[in-house]
Amino acid sequence: MPWISRLASLYRNLRGGKRVERDLDDELRAYLDQLTDEKRAAGLEAQEARRAARIEFGGVEQVKEEVRQVRSGHIVEELLQDLRYGMRMLRRNPAFTAVALLALALGIGANTAMFSVAYGVLFRPLPYAGADRVAVVCMRYFPRDFAFGTLCMRDYLTWKENNRAFEDPSLFTSLNMDVAGGPAVPEQVQGASVTAGFFATLGVRPLLGRTFSLGEDKPTAAALAVLSESIWRRRFAASSAVLGQTILVNGVPATVIGVMPGVFQFPWKPDIWTNLLLKPPTRYGPWFYRGVARLKPGISFAQAQSELDHIGLRMMQQNSFYKRLTLPVVSLRDVLLGVTLKPAILLLAGAVGLVLLIAVVNVANLMLARATVREREMALRLSLGAGRGRLIRQLLTESVLLAALGGALGLALAWGAVYMVRTWNPGNLPLADSIRLDLGALGFTVVVAMLTGILFGLAPALESARADLNATIKEGGRTGAGSQARGRARAALVVSEIAVSLMLLVGAGLLLRSFANLQWVTGGFSTPPSRILTMLISPGNRKFSDARRGLAFYDEALRQARNVPGVETASVTDSLPPDQQGDADTFGIEGQVLAPGELNPIVSDATVGPDFFRALGIPLIEGRYFTDHDGMDSVPVVIVSEGFARRFFPNQEAIGKRIRQSGPELGNKWMEIVGVVGNVKYLGLTVDTDPAYYLPFAQAYGPRMFLAVRASGDAARLAAPLRRKIQAIDPGITLAQIGTMEQHRTLSVSQPRFDTELLSLFAGIALLMATVGIYGLIAYSVAQRTHEIGVRMALGAGRADVMRMVVRQGLSLAAIGIVLGMSGALALTRLLKAMLFGIGVTDALTFACAALGMTLVVTLATLVPALRATRISPVAALRYE
Amino acid sequence: MPTTNLLQGTLDLLILNALALTAMHGIGISHRIAQMTHDTFRVKPGSLFPALHRMEEAGWLTAAWGESENNRRAKFYRLTAAGRRQLKSETRQWETIALAMASALQAN
Repeated sequence: MPWISRLASLYRNLRGGKRVERDLDDELRAYLDQLTDEKRAAGLEAQEARRAARIEFGGVEQVKEEVRQVRSGHIVEELLQDLRYGMRMLRRNPAFTAVALLALALGIGANTAMFSVAYGVLFRPLPYAGADRVAVVCMRYFPRDFAFGTLCMRDYLTWKENNRAFEDPSLFTSLNMDVAGGPAVPEQVQGASVTAGFFATLGVRPLLGRTFSLGEDKPTAAALAVLSESIWRRRFAASSAVLGQTILVNGVPATVIGVMPGVFQFPWKPDIWTNLLLKPPTRYGPWFYRGVARLKPGISFAQAQSELDHIGLRMMQQNSFYKRLTLPVVSLRDVLLGVTLKPAILLLAGAVGLVLLIAVVNVANLMLARATVREREMALRLSLGAGRGRLIRQLLTESVLLAALGGALGLALAWGAVYMVRTWNPGNLPLADSIRLDLGALGFTVVVAMLTGILFGLAPALESARADLNATIKEGGRTGAGSQARGRARAALVVSEIAVSLMLLVGAGLLLRSFANLQWVTGGFSTPPSRILTMLISPGNRKFSDARRGLAFYDEALRQARNVPGVETASVTDSLPPDQQGDADTFGIEGQVLAPGELNPIVSDATVGPDFFRALGIPLIEGRYFTDHDGMDSVPVVIVSEGFARRFFPNQEAIGKRIRQSGPELGNKWMEIVGVVGNVKYLGLTVDTDPAYYLPFAQAYGPRMFLAVRASGDAARLAAPLRRKIQAIDPGITLAQIGTMEQHRTLSVSQPRFDTELLSLFAGIALLMATVGIYGLIAYSVAQRTHEIGVRMALGAGRADVMRMVVRQGLSLAAIGIVLGMSGALALTRLLKAMLFGIGVTDALTFACAALGMTLVVTLATLVPALRATRISPVAALRYE
Repeated sequence: MPTTNLLQGTLDLLILNALALTAMHGIGISHRIAQMTHDTFRVKPGSLFPALHRMEEAGWLTAAWGESENNRRAKFYRLTAAGRRQLKSETRQWETIALAMASALQAN
């Protein structure tokens, strides 16, 4: 087995390097001694014999080297040598090393992290069996054109009757639930009410117990509950005795039948799934539900969509108020991600790709600069007999070493970033659990960096070394062969760096301005958000679903709240700006004639206590606010928003007109408009003013309400005392979502903030690298032109002239880069359109600022070497020649 | 005829052949080759040692320190079983080539 012997010698050579060497020494010396013996035997003097033997033997070192060459592992040995040499080179040029490593680490790290996030969120398979065959089906129709739409029970039944494409469709809805029972205090959790086939559709199995079985969504079925792993651990101490236990869900006893594993969080991380009872609907609405279904084998999304298009047509024929109705088939992942996240992540991934490009260009630039410096070294080594292959191998080793070190730093950076995103999730990303460090992305970026290093380090060095050894050595590498072409290449690289980072700057600038707009936009209320504290109260006990008892409870709660020191005003509401819409409904106007099936649009209809407008600082425009006299048995009254009044009573007095809730089929009471208030945003800060009408709490009671208090100072401090006071009223009360308006607002803008911060970070990195690039180029060029500058100064050029000359060189490059970058930005910022608020994609101010900023930075980067140039002493510069 | 320009395979075959009968040290091998080829080939240390080490790594030879005829320490090389097989196959190969070359050169 020859390979065994080879392996053995490889081991011997590598491990016992010294011993092997000594053995070789001994062997050669023995040969020499024997040869000397022979010469003496032939009659030569001792001295003479030794000399003759040496001559015959030849160069001992050469023989040794040749023996070394045939040994297994000599490649490894040379590699180690090259590595040591490479490390020495890196240590000897700390500035080069630091800049190159920083560029590589940032480029590799940022890319690996970003692609890990993008892959985890957008592409990693969901933790549900066959999730790619599951679709969410909802209805969108004018004017209820929400992102994913909703369904009402009747729509669901129509769909089910006509369905061929899907396995048995399920229905679900998401809602707040009060959980009580057992030793723990009652709490409010996110819950979901789902039909029997829901879990089977999603392809998930329970961790414990069972899920709903066929028929458990019939109107007569018993109330059942499936728990999340999280609430099971938190509230039930992860005990299997929980199965069969009765808990209170919204005051109704329900039997716990199963526990779902923690990875299953559909829809929107519920803690409890209850069985939705399919009571035959008597009318259209409420549109609270969404459908979820699994495609039958062999059916594509497109086929399912075309079937649903037909079903949609049928629904429109059956019901004339469905206009422009569509039933989009949305993949599970798109539902989980929402509409805005995917483009944002893809955009950021694109931006980070540009950062990698700049990092790579920077490394290329550095390599080119170094190649020029090393021209002489390479020429010298070649002329001393180093093989070309050996030189290539060494340069290769150096490039790989640099890339590997950069990669290691980048890996650390990426690991930290991914850890941070997973742990704190600053962007409030869905599916953050499935983000993992992506080694494929790391490998890819490292290879790109390595190839760059090789391409730009190896090629010029070798080419120049081949060109003319003599000339290169003689000229001391200052104006060696190819250095002019290389200078042009470097200038082009710097121009592209400036262009690309300008593009990123413009993008970041637009997002920053948009985010600032978002910060400035008010929800329509004047009380500072830090002075408003809100919490969601549910009285728990079912007796409070009775309006009289409920109103008494809230009267008491408000009385307690007002007694807390620091509370100025306290009220209740079911809707809160900026994005907590309570209900939305259509309405009728007295005297208005609608075509059959025609309906007024569906708008927010908030239920509020008398002091709500005062607590938030919503201005009264006309008429009056609600008062305590607008009670249960008083004349029904309503307040409308300014937008409502303007839209539905144009050029008329709104006060005194009467409207009623919902469509005509419900026959609700007419309510008199007693006030017009300012517009408030209930559908998010970025959604334009929304017509709304307000119902007095006493005339539209609901048990689950937000308490909203205005504090005289910082509202956050009121959270604890308020919670104590209100909890003390009844042990069944549950409180949730406690926080100041400012805290809620911060959460609601966390995603745009994340996008903005990341893009700004990327732009900052890009700018830094471009700065280093142009600084390096100009500094190098000044160093090369020392002689020329010396001559100019000797001939009478002033310092200012020299400085102008150097700065002009930098700025002319910058000008080209800026023009290119501007054109690129104009082409690319269109992609940002959906992410911008209150600002156009070609915002002139942003473009101008970015260009100006870039010019400024380039000027600064050029000034340092320019100043150095002015200090060149003509005498010294000339003496060098 | 000058002493160099040995094809690598030729040198290997000569060394294997020189060691066919008995273990030998470096200088012994080069003397033996000179003797066997009637001084046509004189192998210099610069070719001999790399070849010996290469063949040792290939497993054809083993080396051990011993004492030379005039009481000097020397490294002795010996054929292994693999070396013997190599010698046989290379000899056969060489004979084929030699025959082919001879008839080719006699053709005109």
